[in-house]
Amino acid sequence: MSKRLSRRTILRGAGGAAIALPWLEAMAPRRALAAARPVRRFIVMFSANGTIPSAWTPTAGTSETDFTLSPILAPLEPHKSDIVVIGGLEQKGGGGDGHQTGMGGMLTGQMLNSGPFAGVGAAPAGWPMGASVDQRIAEGLAVPTRLRSLELGVQVGAADNWGRMIYRAANQPLPPDDDPASVYARVFSDLHTDPAVVARLRRRRKSILDGVGGQFTRVSARLGSADRQRLDAHLTAVQEIESRLTTDLVVNNPSCHDPTISPVSTTANDAFPTAGALQMDLLTMALACDITRVASLQWSRSVSQTRFTWLNITQGHHDLSHRPDSEPDAVTSLTSINNWYARQFAGLISRLKATPDGAGGTLFDNTLLLWCNELAKGNTHGRVGAPYVLAGSAGGALRTGRYLSYDGRGLPHNNLLVSILNAVGVPDTTFGKPDWCTGPLTGLL
Amino acid sequence: MSRRCSALIAFPVLVASACGGDGVATETLPLCADDPGPAPLRRMTRFEYGRTVADLTGVPASVADQLPPDEETLGFDDIAAAYSVSTLHAARYLDVAEQAADALVADDVRRPAVAGCDPSSGDATCVSDFIAGFGRRAWRRPLEPDELQSMQQLYTDTADPGPTDGLAGVVAAMLQSPQFIYRPEPTAAPMGAAAGALEPYALATRLSLLLTGAGPDDTLLAAAASGGLDTEDGLLAQTDRLLAGPRAAELFVHVATQWWEVAAIPTLDKDRSLYRTWTDATPAALAEETRLFLADAWQAAPNLKALLTAPTTFVDADLATFYGLPVPGGTGFQRVDLDPARAAGLLTQGSFLAEHAKADQTSPVLRGKFVRAKLFCSAPPPPPPDIVVRPPTVDPRLSTRQRFAQHTADDRCAGCHVLMDPIGFAFEHYDAAGRWRDIDGGQAVDATGDLTGTDVDGALDGVPSLAARLAGSAQVAHCTATQWFRYAFGRAEQSQGDLCTVGKLAAAFKGPTGDGDFKKMVRATVRMAAFRNRAPGGSP
Repeated sequence: MSKRLSRRTILRGAGGAAIALPWLEAMAPRRALAAARPVRRFIVMFSANGTIPSAWTPTAGTSETDFTLSPILAPLEPHKSDIVVIGGLEQKGGGGDGHQTGMGGMLTGQMLNSGPFAGVGAAPAGWPMGASVDQRIAEGLAVPTRLRSLELGVQVGAADNWGRMIYRAANQPLPPDDDPASVYARVFSDLHTDPAVVARLRRRRKSILDGVGGQFTRVSARLGSADRQRLDAHLTAVQEIESRLTTDLVVNNPSCHDPTISPVSTTANDAFPTAGALQMDLLTMALACDITRVASLQWSRSVSQTRFTWLNITQGHHDLSHRPDSEPDAVTSLTSINNWYARQFAGLISRLKATPDGAGGTLFDNTLLLWCNELAKGNTHGRVGAPYVLAGSAGGALRTGRYLSYDGRGLPHNNLLVSILNAVGVPDTTFGKPDWCTGPLTGLL
Repeated sequence: MSRRCSALIAFPVLVASACGGDGVATETLPLCADDPGPAPLRRMTRFEYGRTVADLTGVPASVADQLPPDEETLGFDDIAAAYSVSTLHAARYLDVAEQAADALVADDVRRPAVAGCDPSSGDATCVSDFIAGFGRRAWRRPLEPDELQSMQQLYTDTADPGPTDGLAGVVAAMLQSPQFIYRPEPTAAPMGAAAGALEPYALATRLSLLLTGAGPDDTLLAAAASGGLDTEDGLLAQTDRLLAGPRAAELFVHVATQWWEVAAIPTLDKDRSLYRTWTDATPAALAEETRLFLADAWQAAPNLKALLTAPTTFVDADLATFYGLPVPGGTGFQRVDLDPARAAGLLTQGSFLAEHAKADQTSPVLRGKFVRAKLFCSAPPPPPPDIVVRPPTVDPRLSTRQRFAQHTADDRCAGCHVLMDPIGFAFEHYDAAGRWRDIDGGQAVDATGDLTGTDVDGALDGVPSLAARLAGSAQVAHCTATQWFRYAFGRAEQSQGDLCTVGKLAAAFKGPTGDGDFKKMVRATVRMAAFRNRAPGGSP
């Protein structure tokens, strides 16, 4: 991302040819403000159903920088100096069954409200009582990118609180898009469309959405308060996509190009790795084009029954995760599954490292990544010692190449979320449920 | 544990008799009038949205698959309290609306049909008629003057470069409007008053979405306009007209596949090293079998018995081979008779059996739990939190029954699993893919079981013995009415008024002979206060 606004903006067309567009004067002040601050990006990656703590935990050496990666985390060896492995925190949460609690609290640090989703052994629960950390980052960074954030999924499927982790605010889940083809069409269309056509379409959509917004206001006024809240939330969403129409895609990074895409099933079990790889490609390109700076990649959902046939594992993941530690084949399979996810996380890191940033260096240099899970362990539904791996320094804010164990200290993961906010430049002192959080995570930043 | 479980079982019958009775058909409208219950603002489901947009513009209903999935709870896709909205929703509504609008204005038959003239000429009168005509269908009521004016303005703003662009702009806006996506419902009663009768257009919308899963057609809107829905006879005449059409059968399939938890079959997969005949094509074929069977059962009267016990199904050559049945003559799916000693309606279809099984083994728990939760409406409580729940490992030397012995050996499990497993064991002749088997774990299948804590208790041996009991159960009939209530009103039953409504629906469903007739229950629904009235001001 260039900090010099005199540079002409570049849109790369489908053929890779550079198309010069005139700078839109109206956009200059907002962009200038944003450009004056260093670029910071945040990505969260989720995998489900807990892990095998004994196979996840690194072996500590003489200092926090002296450690040996575990069988599960071994694929991160090439990036070992760029990650921070964090063990021993309690992933806070409440309401719903173990998986619901974990999904809801993982990125929000909040309880679930009561609601319509009846879990196992618990009162029916709804959505969390607050926003997720990535959404707080999007709000705090306040960069007028085309998309405030980008939620990508891999076979996440049904809409309920077992399958949602990103929350715009309390009770406002943001569904991930499971289909790479639709992400491509929605996110990158400007890159392969004639600019004159884009401009016309924007004017037209502005008129249409203005009309739609007027209808929402009109209908809402005639409803009771609960119903009105529903329509007002929808109106806010309409206004947000309308505001995208006035947010120009300002591309100053030569690595930004129209990505290639091939059709992939969004439901076939064995298409899981392929769909995920495509989503990671798209995510990387969305950052390169500065379409967004906040993104998430959600591999399936809690309680997911993905069958990792490409690892020669045929039992469903959730069923496997419930089997006891005394059954070695289950432990081996779960270790393989989590190791596979570590490979995916490593692949995402590699993509960012391989993509130059407009201002020099790579996308990875100014990015912070978090890999998390709704549980620590599947067969207990425990959340103490939930597995967290951070990657990237967020422009030097985070010292990497470390393993930090907080075992036995009873610290809430809310503190980690505060430190994540601080690392990317959001100076909050607390996050999530206030009486859980005790401030930034000691010793991290 | 066991005390907790047994206490739950009797519940549905108690509420069944709260205010029921078999005289539903002769009672005066509306029924259960004291309390229509809450009526939270509903949004069209993806199913309803797709069908309605297809009717209006000619795009395929599958256009709605681009919308984010609907929240599902209570087993249904239309429970208003669960719905959320996001920018992804708004972005997709925009995309779909534009696709539908473009299709309509490019259609040289549909476009002029909207107003009886071709608005693509830009003729001002014709454009106005198009806006009013399309608006009335899309918004399910005539547009008010200021609405017409704002849509006219939108036409002017978007008619660039030509009139069809303006028409498409108007259509795209109307299809994203809350008047289309949601179901705002005016009543004749003032705000703050007691429950009042719905205005005729709102009633028409409820009726059409309930019976056809799509917005009202011209005939129904005309009836609303002319007072045709104001009388019992008029309302029931429209009800019968819609019930007789193909749309009602499709709606029934939509509801029943959710009730039977087989709506997600197309994405089901099995361990193909164990189930070698399971192919990429199998899930779709199983879904089609169930669709055809349900549509057929809808035409039967009474039909609960057919659903539960009919020894018939629909297969094509590939599916017959999958099941090991004789290949039927003809092309495509054919109705075939099955061995009544083995087959019993939906209960022995691959869709139901494979869905209620694991990828690599059957699950007496899932099958038994379905029967308890969805047919008796008395779900066993979940396992205590300190128990590590795990399905037993597949062992080729042991039968499923032997591998699940832990559930009866461990007291903490036995109390509740005795409510599920002995029902599930009756399904053991059907493997995890839904195919008949005589051998399991190297041993002859033992499909004996036990049904307890119901109004039709007794020993079981195979699915047909279970099906016969279910078909004769008043509890199952009442539970069916409860499931229908949840779908029809988009919410859980909660108030005394709701229990009254469910009781009336169950009475209509059972009829004097107790046979279970869905059409009669659906017809009774429109007679309920909960259907015809609403409390002003939306949900509390």
